[in-house]
Amino acid sequence: MPNPVGLIPANTYPRIIAVDLDDTLNNFTETLQHGEFPYSPADSLSRETFEHYLQLIRNGESEPSDLMSTGFNYCHFKIHLRCWQEARARPNGVEFMQWLRRNQWRIVICTRRDMRRAHDSTRVWLQKNDIPFDYLFMAANKIAFCRAWGIKHLVDDSFFNIIHGKEHDINVYYPILPLHHSLPSHNARGFQTFDEVQRWIQE
Amino acid sequence: MDPRVTLLKEFSSGFIEGKAKIETDQFGFEFLEWLLSAGGALEYGELTDTRLLHKYKIVDIPEHRMDDLMQLHVMKQFNVCRYFGVEKNDVFCFNMDNNHKTDNTAIIPEMSSALDTLRTCLLGLGCEPLIIASGRGYHVWMRLDEPMDNTLLYEFMIATAARALLPLLVGGADHRAVKFSFYPDINVIDAVSLRLFGSQHVKNNSFSHVFTPSGLLDEGDSWKYFEHFIRNKTTPTATIKAALEELRKAT
Repeated sequence: MPNPVGLIPANTYPRIIAVDLDDTLNNFTETLQHGEFPYSPADSLSRETFEHYLQLIRNGESEPSDLMSTGFNYCHFKIHLRCWQEARARPNGVEFMQWLRRNQWRIVICTRRDMRRAHDSTRVWLQKNDIPFDYLFMAANKIAFCRAWGIKHLVDDSFFNIIHGKEHDINVYYPILPLHHSLPSHNARGFQTFDEVQRWIQE
Repeated sequence: MDPRVTLLKEFSSGFIEGKAKIETDQFGFEFLEWLLSAGGALEYGELTDTRLLHKYKIVDIPEHRMDDLMQLHVMKQFNVCRYFGVEKNDVFCFNMDNNHKTDNTAIIPEMSSALDTLRTCLLGLGCEPLIIASGRGYHVWMRLDEPMDNTLLYEFMIATAARALLPLLVGGADHRAVKFSFYPDINVIDAVSLRLFGSQHVKNNSFSHVFTPSGLLDEGDSWKYFEHFIRNKTTPTATIKAALEELRKAT
C-alpha cells in the first residue's frame, strides 16, 4: 500500500484545480435570501419556530446550543438542501469548467456541504448544468485539503481561504461579492468573470 | 481467508453488495488510485475535522476486492463501514451517541441509563443484543434468522428507543443528551453507513470492544464473544414481530 501520509504530498499536480460550489459556481446566497421555503408540519416544528429558524439561517446565525443534533440543525439542512437544488449556475462558471475539461485539467469539486445527505442532489445539479468534474470532496478546511492533496489552485469565496491560502502556498481565486469589501489584507485574486481565472492559472 | 473476515461476512448477508465507506489516515491521488485499482468508483470523498482523517464512499466494488478491504479492516489498516439493504435486513442497530458538542467521548449518566433500559427492554421482549463500544457511545446490534422488512425494523427501533429514554424523561433529566440513530433508517437508507465490528474509532483510536453487563471485554475476548453471538444469539424474526405487536398495543 502506498504511504502518502503527511502534510507534504508525495507529488504535486500542476494541472489540477479545486472549485467550490456555493456562491462560486452558483447563486446560493441570493437563493437563500429571496427563495420561498414553505412551512411543513411534517418537520415537527411549529410555524412560529420555523419562521424564527428561517430568519436565523438567512442571517447566517444559529440557535445557541451545546448539543450536536437539534431541531434547528435539521431545519438548517432542509433549507440549505432546497437552495442547493434551486440555485442557478453562473453561466460564465459553467463555460470555465468546460474549458478546464477540454484542456485536460483534473477537476475536484470541493464543498462544505454534508455529502452524506447532499450527494445525490449535488450530482444531479452538476449534471443538469453540464458541469464536468473528476472528483467530489467534502472538506470544512479546504486549505488543509488542497495542501494535503498537492492542489495548487482553489476557486472559493470564503474569507478564511482568501486570507490564509497563500501562507500555505495555495493560489486562491474568489468571485468578488459585496461582503468581500470588508476583507483584510490578503494575497488572493478577486475576479469579476471566470475568464480572469482562466488566464491566471496558465501563468 | 482470515477467520475474522469470515465472521464479519457471516454476521450479515444483507449489506448492499459492492458499496462501502473507508475511513483512513491515508490520502492523496496515489492512494486513491490504489484504492480503486482492483475495481470500484469513488462516489465522494471527505476530509474530516478530526486530524487528517479521510473517508471515501466507494461503489461497484468487486466481491474479491471487498474481501481484501475487510482483511485490511481486521488488520486495523482502516475501517470499513457498510450500507444496509434497501428493502430488508437480517441485522439492525441502534447507534447511541453522546449528543454534546464537547467532551462527547465521555460516558454520561444519561447514556448509561438509556443503554441499561434499552438492554432490559430488548431482553424482556426475547431479543439479546450485541453491544459494542463506539467513540461517543454504543452500537446495539440485533441479528435475525432471516431478513425482515426495513419499515418494521424501523418501527421496532423507534418504539424501543422511546422506552429507553422514558426513565430520563420521568426523572426530569435531559433526554436530548443521548442521540439515537437507527440502522437501517428508511429515510436515509442509501446515505448512511455503520462501522463494522473490529474497527478503531476515528477520534480516540480505541478498538470496538464488546460491552457486557460485567464491563468491556478485551480485544481477543471481544472477537470470541462476537463469534459466540453469531452462533448462539440470533433472534427469530417471529420474536421481533410478536414484540412489535406488544409495543403497538402498549402505545
